[in-house]
Amino acid sequence: MDDLIRKLVERLPLDFRVLFRQFFLRVIDLEALSIEADVERFLGQFAGVLIMLSLVHSVVTYVGSVVFTAPAERLAFFWHMEHYFIATMMLVIGLFTVISWDAAFPDRRDVMVLSPLPIANQTILFAKIAASLWIIGIAIVTLNCASGLLLPLLLDGQAGPRFGILQALPAWGFTLIAASVFLYGSVLTVQGLMALLLPRRIYLRLSAVLQLAAFGLFLGVYFVQPSLTDPISIADPRNHWILAASPTYWFFGLFNQLNGSLPAQLTWVAQRAWMGLGIAVVGSAMSLLLCYVRTMKKTVEEPDLVPGSSGLGWIPSLGNSLQNAVALFSVRSLARSRQHRVAFAFYLAFVVGLAFSLLRSQMAAGGKPVQVGMDFLISTFLMMFFMVAGFRSVFALPISLTANWVLRTTQLKPTEDYVAATRRTLLVLAVAPVWLLCAALAYRMSPTLQAFGHLAVLALLGFVLVEVSLIHFYKVPFTCSYLPGKANFQLTFWGFVVVLISVVVPCAEFELRALHDADRYGFMLCFLVGAGGGLYAFNLHSAKSAAIHFEELPDEAITTLKLNA
Amino acid sequence: MLELRGVSKRFSGIPAVDDVSFCARAGEVTGYLGPNGSGKSTTMKMVTGLIEASAGHIFFEGKRIQDNLIAYKRRMGYVPEEPYLYTHLSAIEYLTMVAQLRDLPLKQAVARIEAMLKLFSLHDDRHASISGYSKGMRQKVLIIAALLHNPQLVLLDEPFSGLDVGSSLVLRSLIQELAARGKVVLFSSHELDTVERICSRVVILHHGKLVADDSIARLRSLMELSSLEKIFAQLAVEQDTDSMARQIADLMYG
Repeated sequence: MDDLIRKLVERLPLDFRVLFRQFFLRVIDLEALSIEADVERFLGQFAGVLIMLSLVHSVVTYVGSVVFTAPAERLAFFWHMEHYFIATMMLVIGLFTVISWDAAFPDRRDVMVLSPLPIANQTILFAKIAASLWIIGIAIVTLNCASGLLLPLLLDGQAGPRFGILQALPAWGFTLIAASVFLYGSVLTVQGLMALLLPRRIYLRLSAVLQLAAFGLFLGVYFVQPSLTDPISIADPRNHWILAASPTYWFFGLFNQLNGSLPAQLTWVAQRAWMGLGIAVVGSAMSLLLCYVRTMKKTVEEPDLVPGSSGLGWIPSLGNSLQNAVALFSVRSLARSRQHRVAFAFYLAFVVGLAFSLLRSQMAAGGKPVQVGMDFLISTFLMMFFMVAGFRSVFALPISLTANWVLRTTQLKPTEDYVAATRRTLLVLAVAPVWLLCAALAYRMSPTLQAFGHLAVLALLGFVLVEVSLIHFYKVPFTCSYLPGKANFQLTFWGFVVVLISVVVPCAEFELRALHDADRYGFMLCFLVGAGGGLYAFNLHSAKSAAIHFEELPDEAITTLKLNA
Repeated sequence: MLELRGVSKRFSGIPAVDDVSFCARAGEVTGYLGPNGSGKSTTMKMVTGLIEASAGHIFFEGKRIQDNLIAYKRRMGYVPEEPYLYTHLSAIEYLTMVAQLRDLPLKQAVARIEAMLKLFSLHDDRHASISGYSKGMRQKVLIIAALLHNPQLVLLDEPFSGLDVGSSLVLRSLIQELAARGKVVLFSSHELDTVERICSRVVILHHGKLVADDSIARLRSLMELSSLEKIFAQLAVEQDTDSMARQIADLMYG
């Protein structure tokens, strides 16, 4: 098999193979990785998360198929899982398109490096598309390696597919590929049209905005759109606008059509999927071809020096000069680096989503004060958590490792001053905005005293979270290289989910009782003050004997036994 | 005075700089020369404190720099070989950040930055992102950042790289002016004409070892050679350059 693949690959032109490898590896920005890290390992970790998710999906699907035995319940369950899997697949592909936003289009570096070489534009185009599709293929396979086989197998016993698994399995595979291609193609079409129609400078600015908007849209649709997966709610004409507007339902319809299980009155939903797929494929192909003919010229003609706006000429004072320097550098890095913005947007989406859900429940109350309850406490805890975690995560990703020499040669203060500067930055950028947002949301809450009481707890919690995130963080934000293996993304991700579920709910229950009990509330405040103070003292003490890190290194492979100690 | 005493640097056991000793005195420009890979930039990085020496010591005004690196860094300005900058910032943002990191009074620093940007003809583009700057413009930003805090020790590693003729002439005069005002200037370059014009003395490195440390005039008379280029060629260039050029051309045609 390996020989066959090798022979097939070797039949491809050499320039295509070289470019394919370059573009494939460039999906991850090598500049952000430590010299000790490798891209394959980094991609492997993400694949690991998707495989784990697939295994969890399989377990849930299998348990559901055993639990739900009545035909109506069973049908509703399978429809729910089908829609959920398609929506998750589209979310993953959506996130991939956001991360590799301009990967399919020629950028200035490609044009300057490849134009003098005897390589045809179409070779560059095909290599770029092939690299992107290869990664999409990996995402499809890893996310469905277990659940994608189990679901059609379990559907075998259901009414619908005339040829059983032989029909369900290809139908399911085709649907997932079609949904992914539809999403990827749609984004390419919109980007291509913008690149063709707009002046290049405006396109570049709008493209960054569009990227964030796409990110918000994908997450918003996934988390907010209502679930219509029982036959009654799907048949209800009042819900048909959702079926008509949401591509996840179009491809849900497409699968059931291919599987022979689609009710006749929903054929139009599947037709939308076919039309959408056709438009996305043709649109992306056309716009890409035109872009490679027209935009490459624009890229070359782009002026080297674009005048910047003069700004307000006002520098806010956020502390001493070092704290100001670190805070302003952090804000500017986050605001101007697309990679960092996208990584941060992942966390920000949760914060904004939770804020909107609180606002929606307040609006639903029709002007009456809303009681301070579990949903408010949990939501605000999570908002604070995600905001601090978001900033802490992006702080660990470097922006320009080669430029770090300036920080080394100007390091005139001890490490604890740099830790204090990072603390100030986190408090100003992460804790203060969430606290103010929560205070605004608490304004209409009742009883007022309890709302204020919670805001005091939230402020202390923010401080504790900042101190937790500063443990052993002896870095200037955005300057230390990133070592994927050390971060152990896969374990961290699942640990993060488990801790959130197991800690936040009991804490909110405790606080809700404490808000009615002065002694308990006093204990809670004392605990938070103690925890914050203890962590602050720990960080201060440990920073005194630490040096600022600019290069993340793997743990020592050899451990000394200290037998002579 | 900057003094290196028996300084060596090894990377995985391979010596990049081997037992180098020399002095750079206040009031004079010391040229630091050597072919590619001779250990010049490694020495510069050790002198800036970016990397530590494997052996030997570096002294500034009689004190070991490693004993109080922070105090030393306050008095040192450095222009690196490559113009690596945070390109997402504008020139004014970058320079203000450097001033803040150096704990300079902000008002005074901003006024100095504005004035220097004007003198270096960067004022009109001060709000543009550095990513759009030419190599010469980036080099000017580096020079301003190195001089912003009025350092006593000025370390220049290929400072003329990418500069236009006018800016080069200004920088050449500036280096001499700084030395005349009592600064210690260590200047590394491949442009031997420039070195000959502005340096009082030269230190030449070859394969990580010191091969010359004297005034240019004395080297000329000792070696009975008319120019620094000839002195350098005799001390640090092993191959026959004309024959090598012919071989390259032959390869192209062969």
